[in-house]
Amino acid sequence: MIAPVAARRRRTDQVMRAVLLGGTLVALVPLVFVVYYLFKQGIGAISWDFFTTDPTGRFLGPPGGVKSAIVGTIMIVGLAALIAIPLGIGVALYLVEYGKQNVFSNVVRYFVDVMTGVPSIVFGLFIYIVLVLTGIGGNFAGWKGSIALALLMLPVVTRSAEVVLGLVPNSLREAALALGAPRWKVVFRIVLPTALPGLITGSMLAVARGAGETAPLLFTAFAVNATTWNLGEQMNSLPIQIFNDVRQPQANIVERAWGSALTLVAMILILTLIARLIQRRSRFA
Amino acid sequence: MNNRLMPGCAALAATLALGVAACGSDADNASSTASSGAKTEQPAQLGGTLNGAGATFPQPVYQEWAARFQEKVGTTVNYQGIGSGGGIAQFTAGTVDFGATDSAMKDEEITAAQAKGEPVHIPTVLGAVTISYNLDGVDSGLKLDGATIADIFLGKIKTWNDPKLTAGNEDVKLPSTKITVCHRSDESGTTKNFTQFLAAYSPAWESGPGVDKSVKWPTGTGAKGNDGVAACIKQNPGAVGYVEQAYALANNFTFASVKNKSGNFVAPTLESTSAAGQDLDIPEDLRLSTIDSPGADAYPVAALTFLLVYQDPCKAGMDEQGAKRLKAWLDYALGDGQEVASELQYAKLPDELHTKAQAKVDGLQCNGQAIPGT
Amino acid sequence: MATGTVASGDRIASRSPLSRLPDRLLRWVLTGLAAAILLLIAFFFIRLATESEPVFSKYGVIDFVFSDEWVPSQELYGALPLLVGTIITSVIALAIGVPVAVASALYITELAPQRLKQPLTILVELLAAVPSVVYGLWGVFVLIPKLRPAEQWFSDTFAFLPFVGGDVAGPNSFIAGLILAIMILPIVSAISREVMATVPVEQKEAALALGATRWEMIRMAVLPYSRAGISGAAMLGLGRAIGETIAATLVIGNAAVIGDSIFSQGYTLAAVIANEFGEAASDPTHRAALIAAGLVLFVLTLIVNALARYFVLRSERATARRVPKGMAG
Repeated sequence: MIAPVAARRRRTDQVMRAVLLGGTLVALVPLVFVVYYLFKQGIGAISWDFFTTDPTGRFLGPPGGVKSAIVGTIMIVGLAALIAIPLGIGVALYLVEYGKQNVFSNVVRYFVDVMTGVPSIVFGLFIYIVLVLTGIGGNFAGWKGSIALALLMLPVVTRSAEVVLGLVPNSLREAALALGAPRWKVVFRIVLPTALPGLITGSMLAVARGAGETAPLLFTAFAVNATTWNLGEQMNSLPIQIFNDVRQPQANIVERAWGSALTLVAMILILTLIARLIQRRSRFA
Repeated sequence: MNNRLMPGCAALAATLALGVAACGSDADNASSTASSGAKTEQPAQLGGTLNGAGATFPQPVYQEWAARFQEKVGTTVNYQGIGSGGGIAQFTAGTVDFGATDSAMKDEEITAAQAKGEPVHIPTVLGAVTISYNLDGVDSGLKLDGATIADIFLGKIKTWNDPKLTAGNEDVKLPSTKITVCHRSDESGTTKNFTQFLAAYSPAWESGPGVDKSVKWPTGTGAKGNDGVAACIKQNPGAVGYVEQAYALANNFTFASVKNKSGNFVAPTLESTSAAGQDLDIPEDLRLSTIDSPGADAYPVAALTFLLVYQDPCKAGMDEQGAKRLKAWLDYALGDGQEVASELQYAKLPDELHTKAQAKVDGLQCNGQAIPGT
Repeated sequence: MATGTVASGDRIASRSPLSRLPDRLLRWVLTGLAAAILLLIAFFFIRLATESEPVFSKYGVIDFVFSDEWVPSQELYGALPLLVGTIITSVIALAIGVPVAVASALYITELAPQRLKQPLTILVELLAAVPSVVYGLWGVFVLIPKLRPAEQWFSDTFAFLPFVGGDVAGPNSFIAGLILAIMILPIVSAISREVMATVPVEQKEAALALGATRWEMIRMAVLPYSRAGISGAAMLGLGRAIGETIAATLVIGNAAVIGDSIFSQGYTLAAVIANEFGEAASDPTHRAALIAAGLVLFVLTLIVNALARYFVLRSERATARRVPKGMAG
């Protein structure tokens, strides 16, 4: 028989339960408000023209849409993904397949962690010094922004890929090796395909993170109004467009900032949701 | 319209043949807009892109020019307002095709830029730095003198009904709202011009924050660009800041009439800004300031703004086609652009300065050769 | 030297040297990639260090960090106001963000009905999907105007507290700290949840069997067990808060002074880099000063991350389980 709980203790329990529930609700308040204001302020800006015209940049008259920013974000983030995903998965493969325990791989692991902690503005600063000021391949350029973003995405890809690759059962590898398959075939035919859904999820989450970053693009891809598909030129991007529009006094430009923010958040959420769906369907991670 | 264009054309005619050609091409365009014939074809070939960055003070007019210049010759001009300090820096680093600033480069900045070639200042327009504020119920312009403005920005005057403010403004009912100062956070030519004016009337300002593109602000919120300061004023009740007139007008700000050197309170207008540009001694390198101009009708915080280019842009890394585009852009700024400026309440250059500016443009070279006009 | 947990291909005798070539190639390429990461970080650090050298040799490390005037056009580079601003906003972020994050983590892992656990987790994680610039936008147009009366009331009522009192500026350090708190919430919550999930069920059941209430179980079994892990989570949150740039620069007021209260305008190291590095390109000292600010940030985050790792590893050792995978962020 359980002794009845003293009233004071029960009260404490109830109070603390309420406090913890309250904390959870408080945590969700900003999300509710951000989403509410994104829709309230942003939906009015969205129209066909919003997606199909460039910012005019003109002081008077309509401010124009954000086509160039959307194109720029897709191009810059796309190239960044092409750089960061293979490199990131490659490093993770090394850590899992060849260097589980040795000192070298522990050092690599530690510095990959360090990279996740480096502020994104510092990556931007680094690329500005190394690639922009030295004038390699022109001045400001979309591809330089991509590299800055790739530096940011790389450790995220590596860490998630390492977890996913580590979950591939060793029995699978051993079975293939026992049948006489060479190591590279085991990696490409067994390990990678098995871990594929998890790898895609991790990579997409990294891309989602990169797509929202502003600081690394400030002085690498810089900004323009006109749409360009050429990564060798200065490029616009959604985060930069928002950053510049927020600081404008005119109401119609601020409205464009909200519209761009809604667009950007929607793009990131779609990526995140697809990533989570893939994750759910897979057996790993 | 025509006789307003005349001084410009006369000035051009007085210079080299190139100047005449530039003036002539304007006329061609004007006559061919209706027929859209073969005549516009030649300038339309120019195409390509020019990248520029710098002052936010003239950004409204530069963006307008860029849009019309593109329609005219097909060249895209990307102009990013990143502040005069940024304009000088990116110009010196060679990351842009032209820079822009509204306070002339300092001697040491010129020395730094000479690594790439001789920098040339091309003055483009004059604008007024307004003292704008956001004060509910006060929609007529206050009368302020330099010393009072300095005290506000020093944080010595903290509320809008301070005796120093009510003294000269008996007809305005000032509330007890607290003053929020909005200033620039970036290195800005507007700041330099504004602080130069304050220092002329306030010893405390001169010995305190001083005169520069960025100073140690005793109080207030920092914002980037004229646009940022305008946003700051708009978002904070009781705020005061200094922004170019186009920004003040676009946002329906109320702004002060400021006491000038002759002792008159002058509101910023196209006329009073133009007046600030008259009767000045123009130095050979055109690095002049129109702050605290002596004219009786002159607005005292009117500023001249410049484009920065290299004397020989080709030696600084531009190709010949790029140099052609650059020259066409500068010709446009000093030609058609001058009339466009007044639509946005910027004053065009006074005649003498205009002549000298055009001569600088005509003197630009590509690898030692004159740049052909378009 | 580095064999995996399974036999490496080389040991299988029947294979010809030629067919082993792809194996070797793969191994070398992957090792090369891993080594390239180290080289990249080394290059990164050396480049930042050499580029910032002019300002340290001109002003000295002490003067750079502890002098309080930052006026680039007068060649004055004292990073103290920036450092103080960074610390104030980060402390506010931790003070608000960590309790809320831990409370939500405890609620989700220990109290929430089973069917609510997953949705709540996803909702908290979604906070991380909102980009920094969007938080900045929201801060400028919603938080600053809406919170100002409340801030002024707080400032007037609690003026006796240190760093409180006086006039409330629109954009200020508190608002910046509050936005940073929201931004670090998901990561602190995620790692706390994973740490709490490693508390052995036997311990919790033992507490409940002894007649403990839910809260007593949390206090006696869950919290002591996961304290180190939560500290690690807070540290990682701190690392984020220190380096966050765009949201901070939009709402902090960008004034390089040490304000009288948390409701005064301020500046942070990261924000000053974002605002000024465009105009520092041609001035070697200014550029060096900003890179030095970046270096200080980098070193701060290195220390904080190392501490975080230490705490999380300690908690891992305590539970003898794997490092929580969320640690990577």
